[in-house]
Amino acid sequence: MEFSRQLLHRLQPTLVGQLALVRSFHATPVCQKVQAGRYRITTKRNKPLTYEMSNPPHQIAHRKSWNSWNTANILGGVRPAETTIEDLFIRKFMTGTWHNLFLSEVIIKRQHNIIRIAGLVKQAISARKMYFLIGFTEEILSCWLQCPVKLELQTVEDPKDAIFKYI
Amino acid sequence: MMSSLRSTTFRSCAQRSFQLYVNLVRQSSTESAKEIKIPRRIKRGPTDVLKALAATVTRDTTAPHYKYQDDPFLTPSSNVGKRTFAMAKESGKKAARWVQNQHPELFQHKVSFPFIENYTPITVYDENSAVDENTLKRVIYYAQVSDAIKVYELLEQKGINVSGSTKQSFLEMLCFFNCEDPLPEEFLEERWFHLSTKGREKLRKTWKDNSLAEKIFLSFEQKDSKAYSAIIQGMTRYCQAERAWKLYEECLEKNIILHTETYNSLIRVVHFLKEGFEHRWKLVQELLEEMAKKNIHPNVGTLNAVLEAVSTLPNQRQSKEYALRTLSEFKALNIQPTLASYYFLLITFCKQRGPISNILVEIMDTIQGQEFSVQDPKDTYFFVTAMDVCRNHLQDKDLAYRVDELLHTGNNYILIGDSYKESIYYRHFFVLMCTLESLDVFMDLYRKIVPHIYTPEPAVMEEVIKTIDMNGAMEYVPQIWSDMVVFDHVERENVVTTLLDSMARNKLPEESELISQFGNIAWDIWKRQEEDVEEDRYRQWRWTGQILGDMMTLLLRANQFKESCIILDKLNRSQQNIVGVPRVEVLQLFLDRCIQEKDVKAAIGCVQYSADAGFSDAEQMAQKLINNISLDEGILARLSNIIGKNLSKID
Repeated sequence: MEFSRQLLHRLQPTLVGQLALVRSFHATPVCQKVQAGRYRITTKRNKPLTYEMSNPPHQIAHRKSWNSWNTANILGGVRPAETTIEDLFIRKFMTGTWHNLFLSEVIIKRQHNIIRIAGLVKQAISARKMYFLIGFTEEILSCWLQCPVKLELQTVEDPKDAIFKYI
Repeated sequence: MMSSLRSTTFRSCAQRSFQLYVNLVRQSSTESAKEIKIPRRIKRGPTDVLKALAATVTRDTTAPHYKYQDDPFLTPSSNVGKRTFAMAKESGKKAARWVQNQHPELFQHKVSFPFIENYTPITVYDENSAVDENTLKRVIYYAQVSDAIKVYELLEQKGINVSGSTKQSFLEMLCFFNCEDPLPEEFLEERWFHLSTKGREKLRKTWKDNSLAEKIFLSFEQKDSKAYSAIIQGMTRYCQAERAWKLYEECLEKNIILHTETYNSLIRVVHFLKEGFEHRWKLVQELLEEMAKKNIHPNVGTLNAVLEAVSTLPNQRQSKEYALRTLSEFKALNIQPTLASYYFLLITFCKQRGPISNILVEIMDTIQGQEFSVQDPKDTYFFVTAMDVCRNHLQDKDLAYRVDELLHTGNNYILIGDSYKESIYYRHFFVLMCTLESLDVFMDLYRKIVPHIYTPEPAVMEEVIKTIDMNGAMEYVPQIWSDMVVFDHVERENVVTTLLDSMARNKLPEESELISQFGNIAWDIWKRQEEDVEEDRYRQWRWTGQILGDMMTLLLRANQFKESCIILDKLNRSQQNIVGVPRVEVLQLFLDRCIQEKDVKAAIGCVQYSADAGFSDAEQMAQKLINNISLDEGILARLSNIIGKNLSKID
């Protein structure tokens, strides 16, 4: 008896350590709920989604692509924080300036010192007005970000063409 | 025996090949000693690789210019579209700059490295800004004329002295721009689409007398040759020739040696100074002799100035001789002519009412395959004038091809000038090819350059339709029509008339698919004119009898009887507004179809119209109707009433 107590006493630190490494057994289900980039199904199943929206984030690089293209976050990349904030700014600016016109996400591609902004726009205003907005956006973003900014837009005749499914 | 033989042959073979090898090595080593020559390292600029890459890309004729978005909705088709889209974009840019300049405090951050000054708001100079000589130098460097004037005034107010060299460059800038702000460089489209009225403006005096430039000039205590050169060049540039000449005489008195450019500018304005052929040429000679006496070496600018002066001389025969003499003299001086020199030669030799001259052929023989850079502002006039000569003076399509090839050699396309010159160039080229080249070759060209590089004007389109008509190549008509719709030519009465006329006159074989297509085109023309009236249209033409008749013909051929009835109805209803009448054959064709379809009402309408229009065949037509369809008494009486004669069925 005395021996076993002594043994336990001697073993205790290692045992405790071992016990800590062992995962405890749970009877309740694991909560792995993720919400970001997913859309809730409506009761009437009439919520329109674009192709981009209908694919959850884990499909990036499989079924869909990134919305921001840059090398800021890879090893040796520069200005990661600034790039993110600038991209946010560009998105806000685009949806504000092109009010109710964008049908897709704003795609921002950076190569060297050039920023290219792409997206789908609906043909709700005349082509001439669209060119005015293109000129305005390119110039003012160039002045703000101090690098050449280019718009590469595609227009869509019917906004429904950009809808992939209803949920 | 065998083996020995084999060994000897083998040995000899080996020997031979070795010998060969040795010879080769020796030969190549001696050759290499002679030939391999390591070239000297060529110094490359930072953008040379980019330029080399850019040189591999030529203009894509299937896509719009890269200033437009690559999207069908945003692709301009007509000439108006090209202009408005580009200008709208530029206008947006200007709006952005305006916003930035209204709120300069928001744009003071510095993100770019190295810092790019163009992205910052413009600096406004007023009483409170701290200015010194460097500020003045800076605004002069950026050619901001009004800013420079303001800064100079501020410096004077504050009593800060400006060094002689800065003052000199300030004077030069004022003289060059005539104390006015130039159009900013970043607005390319405005320059490109700027209607070139400059040629006309240049002929009158625009120099501002007693302006700041002259005051600065007078403020120099010791006026040296630089100051005189600047002010004389400024005055001649803006056609103040007399005062420039006075200053020049002042220089002669004071024995001041002027620059070559100053002499060039004086030669350019001799036609302001002297009247008459003899006097002008004498003045040019005097100036050149003066240069020779003072040992001022002439340059290519001198050549162009002399040729320009010669081209304005009234006597044609003499001016041609002088132009050639000038050219050979400058060749002896080893001064190569530029495109501007050739332009002046062309306008000297190829006058509208003069004898035909082949000088363009000789010019092309000399400059074929060469690359040019801009050396003279008038260089941009060469291509458009050369094409004009090809079309109107020589009517030579091979020469036109050569000119076009030269335009597309290297970077020569930048010498086309502006949109106005470009469209004139292509108009000449296009019409020349249209009239002289075989139709298939021409249509290949059409497909290549229309619509992205060149949009034909209505008059040119008419030429094209006429050529197609002449060749009887009706298969091109549907394409031409769809292009006309895109280019906004559907509202041009004469083009539509020509198109309809050629479609109606050229009879197609019965089984041709084109017949129904032509019917659709005719109906399309009708619909565009009649049914879309609600849209605001500023140019609406009046129907003519010929157009409506041709349309009826086409519709009848395409078995669109109902539609042709509508057109006849129109003819009947608004006779007063329609100029002219359709051909009687059309009405007869229509009547035959009515009889076929047993449509009495339309047939009577046709007879009624023929009678009203005064065709003598009306009676005959009525008789035909009566003979072929059994009519009741009422209608018979009505027909008799129309013709004014009792009619009855004759078998």
